[in-house]
Amino acid sequence: MRLRLRLSSIQHRRSARPSWLRRAHRLLALSFFWAAAACSDPGESATLTVWAHAGQPSERRVMQTLVAKFQQRYPHERVAVTFLPEGTYHAQVQAAAAAGELPDIVELDGPLVPRFVWQQLLVELDTLLPEQRTANLLPSIIEQGSFAGRLFAVGMFDSGLALYARRSNLEQHGIRIPTHPRAAWTRNEFEKILADLAADDLDGAVLDLKLNYTGEWFTYAFQPLFRSAGASLLPSAGSTTVAALDGPRSEALLRRLQRWIVEDRYVDPNTDDRAFIDGRVGVSLSGHWEYGRNSAAFGDDLLVLPLPDLGYGSKSAQGSWMWAITKASIARPRAAAFLAFLLEAEQILAMTSANGAIPATVDAIRASDRFGQDSPAHLFVTQLKEGFTVPRPRTPAYPVVTIAIQRLLYDVRTGESVGPAAVNAARRISRELAIVAGEAKEVTTDNDAQ
Amino acid sequence: MTTSKTFGAVVMLGVMTLFYLIPVIVMCVGSLMPDSRVLTDSLTVSRWGENLTLTNYRDVFERVQFGRFFLNSVVVTGGITIVGLFVNSLAGYALARFTFRGRRLFLFFVLVMVIVPFEAIAVPLFYLVSAVGWRDSYGVLILPFVANAFLIFFFYSFFLDIPRELEEAAWMDGASTSRIYWSVILPLAKPVFATGAILSFLFNWGAYLWPLLVTTGPEFRPLPIAIATFYTLPPLQWGDILAFGVLMTLPVIVAFVLFQRWFVESVTTSGLKG
Amino acid sequence: MRSDGNQSALAGLLLSMPAFVGLAAFVAMPFLAAVILSCTDAQLNSPLAMRFVGTEQYRRLLSDPMIRRALANNLVFAAVVVPVQTVLALLLAVLLELVPSGKRLFRVLLFLPVVFPMSLIAVVWILLYAPGETGPMNRVLSWLTLGGWEPRDFLRDPQLAFPAIILLSLWQGVGLQMVILSAALSRIPKELYEAAAIDRAGAFAQFRHITLPQLRNPLVFTMLLTTILAFRLFEQVRIMTHGGPGDATRTLLLQAVESAFDLQQIGEASALSVVLFCIVLCISVLQQVLLDEGRRS
Repeated sequence: MRLRLRLSSIQHRRSARPSWLRRAHRLLALSFFWAAAACSDPGESATLTVWAHAGQPSERRVMQTLVAKFQQRYPHERVAVTFLPEGTYHAQVQAAAAAGELPDIVELDGPLVPRFVWQQLLVELDTLLPEQRTANLLPSIIEQGSFAGRLFAVGMFDSGLALYARRSNLEQHGIRIPTHPRAAWTRNEFEKILADLAADDLDGAVLDLKLNYTGEWFTYAFQPLFRSAGASLLPSAGSTTVAALDGPRSEALLRRLQRWIVEDRYVDPNTDDRAFIDGRVGVSLSGHWEYGRNSAAFGDDLLVLPLPDLGYGSKSAQGSWMWAITKASIARPRAAAFLAFLLEAEQILAMTSANGAIPATVDAIRASDRFGQDSPAHLFVTQLKEGFTVPRPRTPAYPVVTIAIQRLLYDVRTGESVGPAAVNAARRISRELAIVAGEAKEVTTDNDAQ
Repeated sequence: MTTSKTFGAVVMLGVMTLFYLIPVIVMCVGSLMPDSRVLTDSLTVSRWGENLTLTNYRDVFERVQFGRFFLNSVVVTGGITIVGLFVNSLAGYALARFTFRGRRLFLFFVLVMVIVPFEAIAVPLFYLVSAVGWRDSYGVLILPFVANAFLIFFFYSFFLDIPRELEEAAWMDGASTSRIYWSVILPLAKPVFATGAILSFLFNWGAYLWPLLVTTGPEFRPLPIAIATFYTLPPLQWGDILAFGVLMTLPVIVAFVLFQRWFVESVTTSGLKG
Repeated sequence: MRSDGNQSALAGLLLSMPAFVGLAAFVAMPFLAAVILSCTDAQLNSPLAMRFVGTEQYRRLLSDPMIRRALANNLVFAAVVVPVQTVLALLLAVLLELVPSGKRLFRVLLFLPVVFPMSLIAVVWILLYAPGETGPMNRVLSWLTLGGWEPRDFLRDPQLAFPAIILLSLWQGVGLQMVILSAALSRIPKELYEAAAIDRAGAFAQFRHITLPQLRNPLVFTMLLTTILAFRLFEQVRIMTHGGPGDATRTLLLQAVESAFDLQQIGEASALSVVLFCIVLCISVLQQVLLDEGRRS
């Protein structure tokens, strides 16, 4: 079964390539196919295969429990989950896709959904999932999982970004406490707060931007600031000139950030990842995942506040791991049944209580201890539900976009000249946008792999 | 004069070796400590003896399929080495002893291939094997490394040095080519095969780049990838990671100490011949 | 050469065939593919038809500051590691000669890191480079400077990250070079030194006029081998720093693997591979020329 499938998918992939390469591939295939086939596992057609990122031990345990529960409910079903290391997760999935070895279901990070769709690796979910399951999902999940108006991935949880602060500290400095994203601190207000706090601080470093993190964090956490300043992460080819990554608004924002970090020295390097809970800083820009630790450290004194409004409204981040069904799957309705099961409130709550993320459906949120109506962390829900979150650029070029943005922000924090750095990043992104904008030679239907 | 010089040399060498061994010592001692103590105490000699434990070793086997990774490494390195010795020695023998069409061209080809570093072809090879759906198998980990230009040349120069008279005598007695190879050449070539085996082992045991590109799950993952993956697998427990390190090197170190003369000689002959 | 016609020719062909096929399929063909792919915009899993773009990939690489930084790092690595490792290896080899007993023990201990996979070494050294005053490297430095060392976060420090990578690479590489030099050292005829002693040549003069010239070829060989290794620098930076902070530890091979594997940019990565090959080719040719020269004189 698997064998035949692989052959057909190879032939399908091959047809998109020029003939010399096709011939070379066929030669290679002829000489090595049998060796490859002889060494690979024949597999069982009855088993649904799932790839997931390794994550925390508690997440892996819950996932295994959920699988067991699913098999209990549907005794004829078998689900095999393979956990892959997070560091190289997407590279592994891409490489496996190229070799025609994708499982039925893959987990992928939200912002990569457009690339996978563009690569024609995923199956549309609109018709496969029962409507009652998708209707219940947060708008942010639908937005993140859709591309070109169609749904390709669903998540059990979402993420969020906020400012953490201590009530006592803010009150002591006479600082207003905003309770809703619409009432967020304005740009001037925020800079005055930083100055006031710094005046009363030993080293003047009063803001934590989690500079100790690496990689995706910088795109995730700074893109809301770009959007709040009326700018975008895409160059002028992908947006209007004034809002472009290499445009004036973005440059002003980057200069401001650079001033905070390099000149005013407001930002704690946070090398020990304890700047906020050790009380070294008054305000910490961080994700929902720090709520547990911060809340344990400060109890009722902890505040969860919206990000500052830099001119175009307070914005927060969104997007997390999502599930998708691959075109390699020959058991799509069964795979969809598994996803529908995962989206039940009970399973969502089991998972979110293990990883501390924000449940993806309204009914699960209602039943959640951490994010319920009365919790300070309910702000994360408000942001997701009322449209204050912005997805990272939804383009097949995303992998290149995020690398370029991370490098740009590194240049900004190390004091490089902002203008040229932004132009450089914009150039790299434009190139990739132009490549992915090319017209696909062959549009395949959903059923061609079967 | 001489004694003081010798004494100085011993002291200097001793101190340098001690510093040199710090990472190995940290690995061994830390692997026996509870995770929380690894960072603080693995360099504090006075506290080495306190509540040492083997839990880290148990954890390794509980958390990952260590045996599978080890087996994978043995199968892959062993496969490359054994099949490779066979294939490369035959080619070396053919080049040294037979006239055939294209011999000089093949020899030139081998000499050119010696220069190509694997790193320069890893990307296109990855692309090609992906295109034919070849991935996650022992075959894709072994076959690309079986034919090795360096080893072919190595065997070729050895066979050139063997006096031809021995084979000619056997030839006169009516022995076939394969018979001559098995009963005349191979016994003579034992040390060369040992050297070739050790070099092949050293080239391939630590391979990281290729398995990174062509293995997905734990099924075919060899040790060098497994240790890097284990390090990134939460929770970060240094005791477990170091125990993993000790486990994966211990058999090699035992083999190395037992056959150290061979190891050293293999490396030096390859180096001195250049 | 045996020359009894067809049978010998056939045997020769048959015996060399497996190796030839292997080299052709897994070395020559991928290399040709690299050259061809480097002139295209090929991407893994792209739904688009591959386009020939001529030398565009190369032009872009040459103008990319990131690539220039990567190349510079490779060069700095070679410029530091080759002399330092050679001097250290030579020093150890000479000391080993002077030690009356236990030579074998020291040699085994010093050769040990060579049998460790680099990925294991990288992981262990992440622990050694742990930030804060409990980090083993910080501790050793503080101890050596009698407490004058301020704890640093080696792998995230733009100034220290690359030196940290260099140090562990030295640690791993010096054993191999030492063993080769040590073997060559013990092959120098003792009579040369005895004759020099009669001429009242001092230890340093003996080293300069006997040891070094006698070691010429092993030195050339190991130094250029290390230079080639400098351009293959990859595992350490992939596991320990991912090329960061910024581009401080980026190398050509890391860049090639990241664009091919993490970003699916096969065209760009192939161009980098070809550049890498050309560099190694130059070093190899230089190595051969120098070695031949040494053998002739």
